[in-house]
This record gives sequence, structure tokens and C-alpha cells, in this order.
Amino acid sequence: MKKILATFLCLTFLAGMLFAGEQAANNPTGKKSITVEIYDRGNPGGSKPEANYWTDFIKKGMMDTYGIEVTFKPVPRWTEVEVLNNLLAAGEAPDICVTYSKPTIDTYAQMGGVLDMAPLLKEHKAELPNLWKLLGDQNIYWDKDPKTGKVYNIEAILVNNMRNSVFVREDWLKKLNIKEPKNLKEFEAMLVAFKNNASTLLGKDADKMIPFSVGVDLGWRADPLHTSFVTDSISDKELWIRGFDDRRLTWPGVKEGYRVINKWYNDGLIWKDFPLYPFGDKTEDNLMKAGYVGAFLGNWDYPYRDGDNGIHANLKKMSSPDAAYIAVECFPNNAGKYRKYLSPPVDRKVFFPATNKDPLSSLYYLEWMATLENRRYLQIGDQGVHHEVMADGAIKAKTVTGEKIMNSPSNIDYTILLNGLDLGDQDLNIKSLALAFSGVEKRYLEQSYKIMKHDARISPNYNVGIIKAEEGMEAALKEKRNTFLVQAVVAPVADFDKIYDSGMADYLQSGGQAIIDERTNLYKEFFGN
Amino acid sequence: MKSTGLLTVPSKKRKFSDYMHRYGTLYLLLALPVIYFIIFKYIPMTYIQIAFKKYNIFKTPWEMPFADKNGFEYFIKAFANRDFLYALRNTLMLNLLDLIIGFPAPILLAILLNELKIRWFKRFTQTVAYMPHFLSWVIIAGLALQLLAPTTGLVNIVLNNLGFESVPFLNKSENWVMTYIFLGIWQSIGWNTIIYLAAISGINPELYEAAELDGAGRIRKIIHVTLPSIRPTIIILLILSLGRILGSEFDRPYALTNPLVLDVSNVIATFVYTYGIRGLQFALTTAVGLFQSVVCVIFLLSANYISKKFGESGII
Repeated sequence: MKKILATFLCLTFLAGMLFAGEQAANNPTGKKSITVEIYDRGNPGGSKPEANYWTDFIKKGMMDTYGIEVTFKPVPRWTEVEVLNNLLAAGEAPDICVTYSKPTIDTYAQMGGVLDMAPLLKEHKAELPNLWKLLGDQNIYWDKDPKTGKVYNIEAILVNNMRNSVFVREDWLKKLNIKEPKNLKEFEAMLVAFKNNASTLLGKDADKMIPFSVGVDLGWRADPLHTSFVTDSISDKELWIRGFDDRRLTWPGVKEGYRVINKWYNDGLIWKDFPLYPFGDKTEDNLMKAGYVGAFLGNWDYPYRDGDNGIHANLKKMSSPDAAYIAVECFPNNAGKYRKYLSPPVDRKVFFPATNKDPLSSLYYLEWMATLENRRYLQIGDQGVHHEVMADGAIKAKTVTGEKIMNSPSNIDYTILLNGLDLGDQDLNIKSLALAFSGVEKRYLEQSYKIMKHDARISPNYNVGIIKAEEGMEAALKEKRNTFLVQAVVAPVADFDKIYDSGMADYLQSGGQAIIDERTNLYKEFFGN
Repeated sequence: MKSTGLLTVPSKKRKFSDYMHRYGTLYLLLALPVIYFIIFKYIPMTYIQIAFKKYNIFKTPWEMPFADKNGFEYFIKAFANRDFLYALRNTLMLNLLDLIIGFPAPILLAILLNELKIRWFKRFTQTVAYMPHFLSWVIIAGLALQLLAPTTGLVNIVLNNLGFESVPFLNKSENWVMTYIFLGIWQSIGWNTIIYLAAISGINPELYEAAELDGAGRIRKIIHVTLPSIRPTIIILLILSLGRILGSEFDRPYALTNPLVLDVSNVIATFVYTYGIRGLQFALTTAVGLFQSVVCVIFLLSANYISKKFGESGII
């Protein structure tokens, strides 16, 4: 009996190994197929990002046009860099990868893990007219190495180059008869008023009042408050050299912004538990939806996203019908300007890992995705289902739930070459943008948009090739930045300088200074003084 | 196995085939774990070389060129890195506390459970105590946040209502360490009692009867019968824990951490994650991992040696 059992066990094991081998060998060959990365936002009520109405549309389109089979590989949006790293390291990255992190691409490119697209682009340019029409030489060759001419990635286009707005509760301002704040002093007075009138505003939930809310990604959530302390005469060169951290940590002056937040924290104006909730956690959103949060800084469209599941709709449901966040402009700099420092108009970076055995098929995918009618459908969907057409031709988005839901605004996660509504007509774009958010009155978006464009300053592109000191440092520096900013902000006012300065010193010593130095030298090398 | 000697004297070959006939299936069974260890433990060990080489993801470790400074570049780099030194200190600190506070806990619980006379209550307590073992640290961290957060945590709300100040369980370094240790005990105490309870149930009841005849009370019986009888088990588990003194769990500190306590929650495993997996510095972090393993082996061997000196059986 024992013998039989043992033999049986061993045989099953061997058989298992054999079958596993066979399965691997049985992969469909002959038919062309590619895999494409897709962000998974885990949005409430959303559909599976790798298999839904939109992926079916793309798959069908690619099959009909090029006879190429497309498979999607989901990657969590908020940990995309980590997951992509794992996939790349394991040799399992999709054929078409998308990321916001240039250093990740550079690191792998150095090891020979990323395909040089330059020869392919040159050879097949004639077959890719729509790609060129959408991105132009500028975005396609944005990161072309100035010395070797290699192109490891192309840059998606950012139609609406936006950043953060300041949001406050419009209904609370009205209730307390406060005017929209126009400067820091008024803004602070408003926060204090929210706090002091908590029982008027929240009734029995008065103890839940959060006049101002932030998250652990303070560098983002302090923008544009912290950049209002940057002197207006700062040069583009300086901004670029110190601009490797997209949260502007090493820009001169931003420390004062954090000092203000530190003061507010100690005055009890800020959500006390924010340091405990990790990046991407939905607790803060839920507090906004419940109506406890008076003001916050965030992406220009943040409260208006996600239709029925979003902050705007839920706030009305859970609080009162007139409850809403409205964008205000209240942090002027030393020249009295409400500066918004915007990055160059590029978005995600698209690259092919070296494991991509059929880069031409992947280029065809990009071409298909750049074609106006395809991306237009992905962005606005069906008339009557996803949008209505207004009298002036503008497109108004409708709330969609169920299988035809868009997991990201205008499906930006699928239109990997394009962030922002582009209907092929500039006038129409602007008219439609304000209508692009279902269930949100036009004026809220118009106000945020107008504020965004007011006094905006766009940094130019300085292409110097790979910056060695940045390789492999992004994650560690990011963690250091978030850690010391949070620690400094929650410290007693008297300790703020000590904690901030020692944190900054550690940040610079751990690699930040090396990057600044290398950028300074590279700038000199390519652009003189 | 001995030949009866009546027939022919069997040849060597014959002996072997007899032996295989008799024990072959056992070897076949042994083959499975051996294959497992070779494939999943020994072959990957060739990648230890990465610690001494310039890493390139697309080459085998044999092809990669050696790192600078005779291959020790990354060890030097690690020990020059402040974060690593902190991680080293924190790993030692947290594991030592775990050992001092966490190690005796299941022994105590096992003895307490053993003294319970009501069978169903004993069973019930035991089951409840080992349930948390099956929860992942991510879930426990979520629970901890719900219970222990300063303003919205249930425990602190109760404290506030009783007129006390909130206790910053999670957002002050010293308190966080205690929370960390306590949650660790809570999660593993029941599971770890299983081995001790098994050892206790193996004690000859006559020993207790004899002790009773000599007039020993309950406490005396625990001290003079139960504890000495499970001593070998305790020693072996202690040696194994000492072997892990520089080893570190990843999910427990990673799930429980937050920016305010990073000065104590950054351990070697999270350092390796930040620099190695997220920062792609594989050579550096392999060097760290190798250092960690070597220190663990040294601890394990010395603990083993000491326990043998004291007349215990040891594990090697």
C-alpha cells in the first residue's frame, strides 16, 4: 500500500512537471499578438480594466485593422512603478509599457532592457502617419539622447496642462457669509472660521470638522501653497536643475509653505490622523464625501472626477444638495502673481522592453491608438450612452455605470498617447472640457480651468540624456521626502526648523545633492551658462 | 536484512538490489523534497554572487563583471548608508524585544491552558487564541488603524469618553514599538502554544502523581515537573529564534508603518524593498541580504554550541 502511494505521488509530480512544460510550449504561434499595460485604479463600481467594453473595442479594432491580437495586463495605478519594476525584473513586462517614471526607463535602458525605437521609427515613419500627426517630432523625439540618438521612449501628449487648484466648500462660505479668500491671510481666517463654526456647519458631527485636509504625499498636497513662496524672478535654469523632484522639494522657498501647514496643524486646523493613512488610501476621499472637509489642495479636477461615485456627487447626497467644492485662487507670490508652475506638456512615457519580440506590431498599436476616430470613441463613447451633443457641438459626458463605465476620466488609461479630451478641433475641446465631467455643473470646472491658466508658467524641455545620479534613487528619495515632510509638519512649531533642516540635509546627502550637481554640469555642457 | 547464509553468499550487486527493493520507495519519496530544495533553494543560491558583481538583469551572474574594490563595493556602500545602519539597529531592537517579551508568552499561555480543568473551555480558548495566526498583516494593520488611530480609533474614542487623553499608539515611535510587539504576540501566541501543549501532553502523568504524594501544590508541580519536562522543546525553539535575530519579516513592519515612525520601523527587509525592488539596486541589497544571512548563521551556531555545552541536545 505504502509503495503504491509513494509511486503514485512521484508519478503525479513528474506528470505535473511534464504537463507544465507542454503548456508553455503550446503557446499560440503564427498569429501576431502583443500585450499592453493598463492601469488598474480600483475605482468603486469600476469594471475589470483588462477585460471590459473598451478593451473589446480595442481588441476588435486591432484585429480588424492589423490582424494583431491584443492582451491587456493590469498594473495598479498607485504602485505602478513598483509593479512595473517587478515585471521588468522578471522578464514578464508587457510589450507596450506605460509609466510616469522616466528614471525607471533609464535604469533598464542602461542595462539593455529597453528597446531603442529610433531605427524602427525612422524605417516605418510612412506607415505611422497618425502617430506623427498626434505627437509630432517634438513628443516622439522628446527624450532622444543628444549624444547617441537613441530613443528609449516617446512622450504622450498632455492636452490640458494642469496642476493643482485650491478647493473650498462653496456652501460653507455662503453659510458663514465669507468672501472667496484672495490671499493666504484670508484663507487662514476662513479655516479658523470653519473651525469656530463647526456646530453651525456640521451640527451633531461638529467634532468631525476638518477645516483643511492633506495626505501623506504632502509635496503634492501643498502645491500651489508652497510654490507661492518661490520668488517670481527665479530662472528656468534654476527651476530645471532643482526640478528633478516633481514635488519641487528642492526649490528655494518652499520650506515656508510647509511652515504654514505646520502652524495650521498645531492650531488644530488639519486632519490629525493623516500621517497614518498610506498613499492612495480612500479614507480622505470618504471624509470629503461625508462633508467634513472644508478645504484642500489637489488636482484641478479632483473633486469632480468619477461621476456618481465621485466626491462631488456623494457630497451632495450625504451632506446637502447645495454642498460643493469650488476652486479659488488665494496664494499670490512676492510679485503678487498667482503663479502655477507647470511641467512641459508631456504626460506618460511609452516604451517597449527588450523582451518585446515584435516591436513593429506594438508600433501599429500606437498608430491605431493615435488615429482620431479610435481615440475619439475611447474618449467620448456612444452618443446617448456616454455623451450628448450640445447645440454648439460640444460634447457633454453622461454618467455611466455597469459594463460600459469608464474607469478613468475620458478613458485616459486606454489612450496611452493622450491625456485630456481631444476631439480634433481646438474650439470644441475647450467647450467640451467643462462638460466632460458627468453630473458636475459647468461653472465649477470653468472656474478651476480659468484659475489654472491664470499666471501659469510652463517650464521648457532641457534634454541632456540620461542623468546617472538619478538612477535607482527615485524610490528612496521619494520616501525620504514624504517622511521628513510629514514629520516636520506634525512637529511642535518650535521644532519645525530642526526637523525640516535635518530631513533636508539627509535628503541632499543621500543623493539629492549629487543629482543637483550633475544637472548643473550637464546644463553647462549642453546650454552654456 | 542479514543474509540467512543457507543459500549462496549474495554478491554486492545483489545486496544493493535487495536494499533498493526494500527501501526504494522511501528514497523515491525523499526525492521530492530533495528536488524541491535543489530547484528552489540551492540553484537560486548562485545568485548570491550578485552581491559582488555589477548587476545586469539580462546576464547570468557568471557573466556579470565584478564590482569595484575587489567586489566589495556594495558592502562598503551599504555600511556607508545611514538608512542601512538604522535598519540594522531597528531590526536588532525589534527582534530582541520580540524575543524577550514574545518568546515566553506562549509558554505561559500553554501552562495556563494546561491547568484548565474544563475541557470545552480549554478547547475554545485555544481555538480563539490561534485564530489571529491566519490573518495577514495587511488585515491586522487595517484593524489596528480602526482601533488605535488617535482621533477616529475605537480605543481612543473610549479613552476620550472616559476622560483620558488619546494615546498615540501608532504615531509616536516608542508607543509604536510596543504596539508592534503586542500585535506580534497577539497574532502568534496561540499558534506557538501548540508545540508546547504537545510537549506538555507527552509528560508522564505518574510524575505529577508522585509530586502530589510528596505534597507538591499546583505551582510546585509547574515549576518542578512541567517546566523541566518541556525544557528541551523550549531550548530548541529558542535556538531557532536566535537564528532569526537579524532576519526580518517584511509584511509586519511594512504594513504597520507610517511616516511618523519610520525611524524605528525601517528594518532590513523594508530597506531591501525600497532600495532593491523599488530602486532597482539589486547588487546593493543582495549584499545586505548576504550579510544578514551570515550573521544569522553565526547566531544560530553559537546558540547551538552554548546549549550543547549546557547538556541540551541542540539542533545540529
